[in-house]
Amino acid sequence: MISIESTSFAYDDGAPLLVGVTLAVQPGEYVVVAGASASGKTTLARLLAGQTGADAGAVFRGAVTLDGETIRFDGAPTDPRIDPAAWSARVGFVAQGAWGQLSMMSASVGEEIAFGPSNLGVPTDQLRSLVADVAAALTLTPLLNHDPRRLSGGQLQRTVIAAAMAQRPAVLVLDEPFQGLDDDSAQDVADALEVLRGAGTAIVVCEPMLPRAAPEGARVLALADGRPVFDGLLTDARGAGLRRYGIGTAGDPPRLDPASDPTGPHGRELVTLRGVGFSYPSGRRGDDRSACLAGVDLSLHAGEIVALRGSNGSGKSTLLQHLNGLCRADAGSVSLAGVPILRQPTGALAACVGFLFQDTDQQLFERTVLREVSYGPFAAGHRRDDAVRRASEALERVGLGALEEAHPYELGFVQRRLVALASIIATGPAVWALDEPTAGLDDPARTLLAALVTAHARGGGAVVLATHDEAFARAVAHRSVRLEGGRIMPEDHPSV
Amino acid sequence: MRRRRIYNPLTELLAAVLLVVLVLVVNRWEFSLAVLVLVVVPAVVSSGRPRQIGLAVAVVAGPLLLSSLLLHGLFYPEGSTVLADLGPARVTAEGLSFAALMGLRMSVFTGVLLTAAMTLEVPELLATMTHRGWNRKLVFVVGSAVGLIPHVALRARQITRAQQARGLVVGRGPLARLRALLTVTTPLVIGLLVDASERNHMLGARGFSSTVARTSYLPDTDTPGQRIARRVMLAVTAVFSTAWLILPVVTG
Ligand SMILES: Nc1ncnc2c1ncn2[C@@H]1O[C@H](COP(=O)(O)OP(=O)(O)OP(=O)(O)O)[C@@H](O)[C@H]1O
Ligand SMILES: [Mg+2]
Repeated sequence: MISIESTSFAYDDGAPLLVGVTLAVQPGEYVVVAGASASGKTTLARLLAGQTGADAGAVFRGAVTLDGETIRFDGAPTDPRIDPAAWSARVGFVAQGAWGQLSMMSASVGEEIAFGPSNLGVPTDQLRSLVADVAAALTLTPLLNHDPRRLSGGQLQRTVIAAAMAQRPAVLVLDEPFQGLDDDSAQDVADALEVLRGAGTAIVVCEPMLPRAAPEGARVLALADGRPVFDGLLTDARGAGLRRYGIGTAGDPPRLDPASDPTGPHGRELVTLRGVGFSYPSGRRGDDRSACLAGVDLSLHAGEIVALRGSNGSGKSTLLQHLNGLCRADAGSVSLAGVPILRQPTGALAACVGFLFQDTDQQLFERTVLREVSYGPFAAGHRRDDAVRRASEALERVGLGALEEAHPYELGFVQRRLVALASIIATGPAVWALDEPTAGLDDPARTLLAALVTAHARGGGAVVLATHDEAFARAVAHRSVRLEGGRIMPEDHPSV
Repeated sequence: MRRRRIYNPLTELLAAVLLVVLVLVVNRWEFSLAVLVLVVVPAVVSSGRPRQIGLAVAVVAGPLLLSSLLLHGLFYPEGSTVLADLGPARVTAEGLSFAALMGLRMSVFTGVLLTAAMTLEVPELLATMTHRGWNRKLVFVVGSAVGLIPHVALRARQITRAQQARGLVVGRGPLARLRALLTVTTPLVIGLLVDASERNHMLGARGFSSTVARTSYLPDTDTPGQRIARRVMLAVTAVFSTAWLILPVVTG
């Protein structure tokens, strides 16, 4: 059906990737491409989606075959170009980073899902039933009239997946589709993929770790540093010792240094929320100004790590944004170290609360990694050279010391995530508010994150992290708080 | 809340373009002023987002106005009524009135086009073009171009939020907001350049550049009345412009 034989692939002047990688996927097959950061899995996904990067100066040597038609590339300027329109009629692609996938030409989730098929000329009545079916499968029906730009991270991710599924492609390539989904949504997506597969769609899923569950007979192609290190059944992959290539298994607890056991709350109260209520201004279509948060109480002490759990759209991100003033409570009060947040500008709170956005692409804006990370300390009043020194130290701590002069946009997903984290460390706030910090991380980065978070708490800081990663929450947090429909639920697992 | 939409976006877009054409053809300051006062200002005020549009107009038209005032006010070659002699530069009455004319025209252009662009319902516009069976390439070009506006707006908002979360203090006054707008410009431009190729790929992967006839998920909101109105507007503007340009020549 679709196959790739890659001799090598190189971005501008980077190290060669996909050296000697071959992958052939038959109709109805399910293939997991697993690899740690910078292993080349996103590059492989893009190649399958017909993006050879030739327009961006990348050099690909190899061949791609779709439906028995082989296209060869020699890395020369005379190489053939793949027609995206024709390719997209057969190969669907969900890239990483849901924001960048929005067409910006749709006012509602329904239109967004219909965008692909309507471009391919599917008649209007079929279009309607197609959208209704896909939306029902991914429990998006109640959101069909919502503005796609005003969704929670998980709702947006589901919308983007639904849009690709609605194209009814013969091959569907998904780059980390489960990122940011709660357990139920992840199951919905897996079920919907199964239905497609049953109908003969070939499915390729890229993951930083081996999935905990996958359809029977799922194959794994594992990559490390741009080379294949394993090709076989998922059941065999688990025993193949892929951890040495930084490929762990999703759902495993992070490995914590036993000596770094978090001490727990031992100091003054750093964050206090009392009866916080909030609703988003209603969009153009939704005339319902339904409450997003209601009666939320939360307190966070120095030395404490709290996990914020709850399904997609339950209000976790909204709650976190109250801590640094990006959202202002309609009711109740928010205080930082006893000082209530009233009308202070958001920027003035950055010295107390460091915020990791759910979507990294929303967080980075500077030209080089060093400038990016020194922005915070400089804005907080440090002298320029002092800010740069702090930035360098923070980058060392997250293991990116060598990338100071790189452009943040050139980095891979995990590295960008670590740059965002470094920018918080460099500023040095007492409170860290981290929105889905483990989403999309590979095993080494997740372990590093666990160490950084516990170290911060031990040093007298406080951390609140919204997460769907239960194993991480259990291992790292002192307690967890569950949010459902904008309200705090009584906790039913006191062990966490 | 946005204003309720009465006309189809295609009608609105055409009206805006024709207005610009008229201002160009009728090269009189009285006309430009009338359009500015009677059309542009009410449109901005009733747009539902007068502050954003006002700011955008100021940012785009402000520098143009200033440079026009400096250029024509000080260095107008045909100026004879000298108001002030500054050595190499002379402030002349003719120069000032020319600068005023140009300034008025530029304000009208930016006002009309930005109001149209910033209140346009992109999805409805695309749907209308699709239902009217417009050429696929044209839908693609117009769609990617106007789809860029909400994309830029969203991107700018995200960057400001990111900067604020990292310590950028934005005050409340209009001046402080303008400064915030400037700090967002460089990262915005870079971000958009980076996005551009990604966005192209994304639109490609979703079949936007395909050549088959496009279909629409949205119902057709265009009415026969508006279709006629558009033709009439076009015809009237064409006839009027021709007459306006030719009559003085014919009658001497
Ligand atoms: N900018 C916005 N405008 C309007 N409504 C919004 C906006 N952002 C989020 N919402 C809505 O508010 C609710 C809570 O969203 P929020 O992002 O806080 O959820 P979340 O718990 O973080 O979910 P996820 O796990 O998917 O990230 C959702 O119903 C969402 O649709
Ligand atoms: Mg969220």
